[in-house]
Amino acid sequence: METSRSQASAKRHGRRDFLTKSAGAVLATGIALPRHAKAADVVNIGGLYPVTGSLAQTGQACVNAAKLAVQMVNDAGGIKSLGGAKLNLIISDVQSDTTVTRTETDRLISSYKLSAIHGAYASALTLIAVEVAERAKIPLLTGSSSDQLNQGGRRYTFTPFARASQFAAAQLQMAKLVSDKPKVAVVFENTAFGTSTSNGLREQAPGLGVEIVLFEPYSAGFADASPLVNKVKASGANMLFPVSYLNDLILIVRSIKQAGLQLAINGGSGGFVLPEFYKNVGPIAEGLLGVEHWNHDTDANALKVNAEYQKLYGEFIFEYGGGLVAQTFMIADALERAASTDPQKVRDALATLDVSSGYAAMCPGGKVKFGPDGKNIYAHPVGVQWQKGDLVSVFPKEDARAPLLKA
Amino acid sequence: MLTTVAQAVVNGLLIGGIYALVSIGVTLIFGVVKVVNFAQGEFVMIGMYISYFLASRFGIDPLASLVVSMPVLFVVGVLLQHFLIRRVLGLGDMPQIFLTFALSLLMMNVALMLFTADYRTVQTAYTDLAIHLGPIYVAVAKLIAFVVAMVLSGLLWVFLHTTDLGRAMRAAAQNQDVAMLMGINPDRVFCVALGVALALAGAAGSLLMPFYPAYPMVGQVFVLMAFVAVVLGTLGNITGALIAGLMMGVAESLGIQFVGADSGLIVVFLMFLVTLIIRPSGLFGGWAR
Repeated sequence: METSRSQASAKRHGRRDFLTKSAGAVLATGIALPRHAKAADVVNIGGLYPVTGSLAQTGQACVNAAKLAVQMVNDAGGIKSLGGAKLNLIISDVQSDTTVTRTETDRLISSYKLSAIHGAYASALTLIAVEVAERAKIPLLTGSSSDQLNQGGRRYTFTPFARASQFAAAQLQMAKLVSDKPKVAVVFENTAFGTSTSNGLREQAPGLGVEIVLFEPYSAGFADASPLVNKVKASGANMLFPVSYLNDLILIVRSIKQAGLQLAINGGSGGFVLPEFYKNVGPIAEGLLGVEHWNHDTDANALKVNAEYQKLYGEFIFEYGGGLVAQTFMIADALERAASTDPQKVRDALATLDVSSGYAAMCPGGKVKFGPDGKNIYAHPVGVQWQKGDLVSVFPKEDARAPLLKA
Repeated sequence: MLTTVAQAVVNGLLIGGIYALVSIGVTLIFGVVKVVNFAQGEFVMIGMYISYFLASRFGIDPLASLVVSMPVLFVVGVLLQHFLIRRVLGLGDMPQIFLTFALSLLMMNVALMLFTADYRTVQTAYTDLAIHLGPIYVAVAKLIAFVVAMVLSGLLWVFLHTTDLGRAMRAAAQNQDVAMLMGINPDRVFCVALGVALALAGAAGSLLMPFYPAYPMVGQVFVLMAFVAVVLGTLGNITGALIAGLMMGVAESLGIQFVGADSGLIVVFLMFLVTLIIRPSGLFGGWAR
């Protein structure tokens, strides 16, 4: 099987490519797993993450979480219907680059007999990876939030958590909790990420009774945030939604503090909810709000995973990493019911997944069942707030672990 | 309204001080050695990392680490001139451009390898402090950076105008052949020019550290503005670079305030183009006298 695959790929890509690939495969397998064991002893799960490049830090943290998850499944006895087969995680570095994501996903699928894949953190990368996985008919789970992942009739793509469009609504609903008359300034970096997110906010704001008093695109990577903050000040807003990368966010939050502005800030998702954000801005992060698809305090299982992760890596398990642990258990649940490593059967088992307890159901809402578009029909986002250096769930009521503190 | 304008001007001046410090380094190297240093921003980055590591490992205030970052980068500048730039001086523009540009790429990527892409910040007691003067506020860290930048620029001016070495530098800048006839050793002068220019970049890095995160690509944020300031203030003119740097900070801030937050640079470049139409060789047509 392995040989015929390699021969086919050799014909396609030429000899040099074939040699590097097979050498890589031999190396990787030698390190990663006891290949001499019987075939049924391991189930290969692919993980696509940006371990290098601009997203490297978060990508590496994803890998840490994915490894922890696999270890948890294996320590609990592996996949029982497959005679206790252990999960074998094969990580592939997609280098924060869409072109590399395509070739790496291809390489991963053609080099290993995979039962399922998870990845790739950033929506832009995941959108590429699912194309390849769909063609190869391998199920792919992801915590990426782009609504596009649920469009176009994909059959092998599963998104267990809240969608980007739901994030905007949650952010606006939280605004109503902070102020009776929210006057919001939306400042966003002027590329795809910022414009799509801010447009979602602008479209839904009138329906939810939130007034947007400033809607301002800016160029990411500025030398100084104070002109922008001056503009927010002049707008008379009492609340700020920055849609920003981490560096800009640090500068904006600091400039607001320096300007002595009393503003409620909701930074949405992304860099804002990483432990690194608090490390960088320190106590002035206190009270800032965000929105996530997963948080480490929503149920007892999440707290357990968090304690384990904290022991290993010295910080709380971040949104995407925690969701990744849940995803791994969803795959394990599907494998258990499929009693097979065949990706087609695993896909069918995922499509009929219906859990409301255990690590697989560890997400806001506490239930997972996929609709025909691969969306978890129960998924909703959770609103969070930085309180005493920790990210605490404060919205909606059923997920809240502490009251939302008004600034 | 008046408050908003005044605040925008203050913000612009404060960041303009940093632009000025970076561009004075570039213009000094160009004025004396006739080489455009594309890696100037990366030396700012090195200055930031020096201050960051001194602060995080030994608890040294980033401003105090000026006394480390400036001498270290001075030595780097001398070595850079002696071992690299000197060898391409007679070879025309292209090898010089490639040399400093390659250096810039190399430094960014080595920094990425050594320090990773993480943002590094230093929390000082004054990082988030501001002085409030009526409705106007002035961020303390930026004010300190601005004042020190102005003092350093002033010291450089004094050095160039009152010391023998400074005069030799200006002489070499005006006419290298005549300077040599007068007994000036251009190699030595060039080494000092590079050293001083890089020391200024190091200073900019240390001054930025209390309020700006360090990361491998951080130099690129400041270097574009610095290059425009160099041309706007007339190539090789130190006073020109200083004034142009401040003007650009203010233009950017006003642009963001009144045109749009993604249009700050549009205003800067409009000002740049208009100036070049009226005065093709920049605001000051010659070496500062």
